[in-house]
Amino acid sequence: MAARSEAAYPVGWKSGRVASWLVTVDHKRIGILYIATSLMWFVAGGILAILMRTQLATPNEHFLTKNSYNEVMTMHGTTMIFLVVIPILAGFANFLVPLMIGARDMAFPRLNALSYWLFLLGGIVLWLSWFSHGGTAHAGWWSYPTLSEDFPWASPGHGQDYWILSIHILTLSSLLGAINFIVTIHNMRAPGMTWMRMPLFVWAIETYAILLLVALPALSAAVTLLLLDRTVGTHFFIPSQGGNIVLYQHMFWFFGHPEVYVMVLPVFGMISEILPVFSRKPIFGYKAVAFSTIGIAFFSMLVWAHHMFTTGMPVGLDSFFMISSMTVAVPTGVKIFNWIATTWRGNLIFDTPMLFAIGFIALFTMGGLSGIFLAAFPVDWLVNDSYYVVAHFHYVLFGGSAFGFFGGLYYWWPKMFGRMLDERLGKWHFWLLFVGFNMTFLPQHMLGLLGMVRRIYTYQHGGLWEVYNLISSVGSGVMALATLVFLINIYRAHVLRKGVRAGNDPWLADTLEWYTTSPPPAHNFDSVPYVTSARPLRDLRRRLAEQPQ
Amino acid sequence: MRRKLLPLVFAVLLALATAGVAGAANGGFTPVQPASPNAVHIQHVYYLILGFTAAIFVLVESLLVVFVWKYRSRGRARAVEGAQVHGHTRLELMWTAGPVLILAIIAAFVFYQLPNVDSAPAATDPIHITIEGHQYYWQFDYPNGARSIGTLHVPVGAVVDLSVVSPDVIHSWWIPALGGKLQAIPGRTNHTWFQAKSMGTWEGQCAQLCGVFHASMRGAVQSESQQAYRHYVDTVAHETIGAQIWNGVCATCHGNLGQGGYGPDISGSPLLASRSSLLGIVHTGVDTSRPGAMPPVGDGWTTAEFDALAAYVKKHIYKAGAAGGTSGG
Repeated sequence: MAARSEAAYPVGWKSGRVASWLVTVDHKRIGILYIATSLMWFVAGGILAILMRTQLATPNEHFLTKNSYNEVMTMHGTTMIFLVVIPILAGFANFLVPLMIGARDMAFPRLNALSYWLFLLGGIVLWLSWFSHGGTAHAGWWSYPTLSEDFPWASPGHGQDYWILSIHILTLSSLLGAINFIVTIHNMRAPGMTWMRMPLFVWAIETYAILLLVALPALSAAVTLLLLDRTVGTHFFIPSQGGNIVLYQHMFWFFGHPEVYVMVLPVFGMISEILPVFSRKPIFGYKAVAFSTIGIAFFSMLVWAHHMFTTGMPVGLDSFFMISSMTVAVPTGVKIFNWIATTWRGNLIFDTPMLFAIGFIALFTMGGLSGIFLAAFPVDWLVNDSYYVVAHFHYVLFGGSAFGFFGGLYYWWPKMFGRMLDERLGKWHFWLLFVGFNMTFLPQHMLGLLGMVRRIYTYQHGGLWEVYNLISSVGSGVMALATLVFLINIYRAHVLRKGVRAGNDPWLADTLEWYTTSPPPAHNFDSVPYVTSARPLRDLRRRLAEQPQ
Repeated sequence: MRRKLLPLVFAVLLALATAGVAGAANGGFTPVQPASPNAVHIQHVYYLILGFTAAIFVLVESLLVVFVWKYRSRGRARAVEGAQVHGHTRLELMWTAGPVLILAIIAAFVFYQLPNVDSAPAATDPIHITIEGHQYYWQFDYPNGARSIGTLHVPVGAVVDLSVVSPDVIHSWWIPALGGKLQAIPGRTNHTWFQAKSMGTWEGQCAQLCGVFHASMRGAVQSESQQAYRHYVDTVAHETIGAQIWNGVCATCHGNLGQGGYGPDISGSPLLASRSSLLGIVHTGVDTSRPGAMPPVGDGWTTAEFDALAAYVKKHIYKAGAAGGTSGG
């Protein structure tokens, strides 16, 4: 058999232009596949957002109503969380972790490839559900029963089943990835790279992977019970048969809140890499930044029920979850102040990655502070499930995560592809996105306080409701324009080949990935210098400068 | 021409926006004007947090802006390093302890205000109302057995004790002026309260996604004099229940005159003229695997209420009321 297959497929088939990507187990290529696929879903999920904002621009519109709106809203949330933010961060981690720790590849390269292909499959399953009987899932991205149960008046058809299947596949993908990251980080660091000399991004990925391992099984369990209810007639979440739907909320948010930090910790890591390089300084308080990551991760597992303050929990529980939620704010605040201190007395160079990093701090601060209102449960009773919450989590997830990963893309792009993205277009991208983002989401705080609830496809009020909604919708258009500028930038650099070729280290950076060529060879490094601090490349530059010519 | 037009359009838009902001009470920067003590005390907590967070926001953002401006490169080469400061333990401890202190104050204030938010004032004679959230209407049961749909009538100044339940999916009861939200969860009974301090009508809507018509699930509370309230629950509620059900439940999808809207045109449907068929469809809904079909709506309605609905529909809706009951139902 072996002889025959070799005859049928010439030895070189795997090096074909397309085939080489299909069979690759190279962490760098897998990382790029992750990022490219996530950006594709980002555009798709963004189009859904534009559809919703078009419907909500003015009162009583008929552009996208009722069930169609609910489908689009559910798919937007699920796509952005499970197919964009989590996997794009996995993509960065894939590309960067082995390079940053001076390894040749991930610990389990084939498992790594499996993670990626499962992710792609999960996304395809989710998006194929548009064609399923009864359309896609339409019970919101958290799919609370009984609305997600198989009743004619709830979620009949197969959309919800596809959603569950997709979540199962994506969970598996993330779990395999998480195990891979942990094993890689623990075992494959370069000589001299102690835990306290590890890049902060790697610290963040270590924590991210542990959180995924702890949180994801709860989600798998919850959606499995839901699937059993829907297909084999169990009653876990059917109260009339003795089921308990608050249980689902607990299981979902036990996953759902650590999930928030899964989506933002790696971005914290990126900011902690970018800021020092463009400030020409070390990070202010390396240990505080590293340990606050662990602190956030630990407390993030104790806060889940702050999503459930309006379920009528006993006041004792409300109080516990208020205090634990406020506690998370402390290590987060430490990070913000340490980042700002990093710029103090620096030589700040405002290339596009730095703009996104500064923008991230400005916007994430806003999202963090509005979170304090939500943690204080009496105020939460007021603003929960209103547009205030929509504004809050977009400041965290878009102003935070997305601004962070755009900064990361501009920063590591030359390392990934060997060409720089254009600075002028990059700055247009940033400013359009910054203005558009604030136009879209700042007014939503006010809408929530005025009484506009989430997930409604229309409203009757004119006046302020209309003004704020219109500003918000126009802002979403500006964000779309910004994304277009980004895509043009990529097109210009690579299809038109106008991107300037990058050397090994265009930013004069600190970490090991800049020691090798851009893009790196398949085996990453010919040799790795002995790591003597958290900034091995700066050490190297100084040693070279001290040597007599 | 276009160069002149553009600023004009912008000026008009800006003026409109400003007028809109000025026209409303607070522009949406604080919760709506409270009309019940629990909402008042929530607002107190809101203001305290707003004070602290606004101060922190200004501090952080201005530090960021000042540093960005002050330490900008000014043409220095990339190779020029900034001050190689690796940290400052005392500073870092300060910005750890500072937030802890602020959060402790906020939490303490929450506990201080909590009794006024969570528990109704004692020593009064509370009115017990059961609120049932249904796809897609609110149903209110009064102590004397009366029932209303969509609008809850209460006497001004009375403490109203609410039991919130749901037979189908999770809903969330919310009248912004009268306090916080509370989910109506199938299989449990949740409790909250309010006390309307003045006469008036306050509107709100279901805050938890409950299906295709979530956006139409509105509710209101109308506080009126003790006399008017008694008159309402003793007489008006019973007399108008047929019309209330039609307007609050059926018309949401089928239109005010049954002319259709989201749901089909039913004004000519023979179902409307037959009490038993009407009862059947109202009880079971339409069983299909397509999302958005008619849900069962009549859970818990009494025979008298069905009769009232059947009579109302036959008289006012069937063939737009013109037939006046020509077909023997």
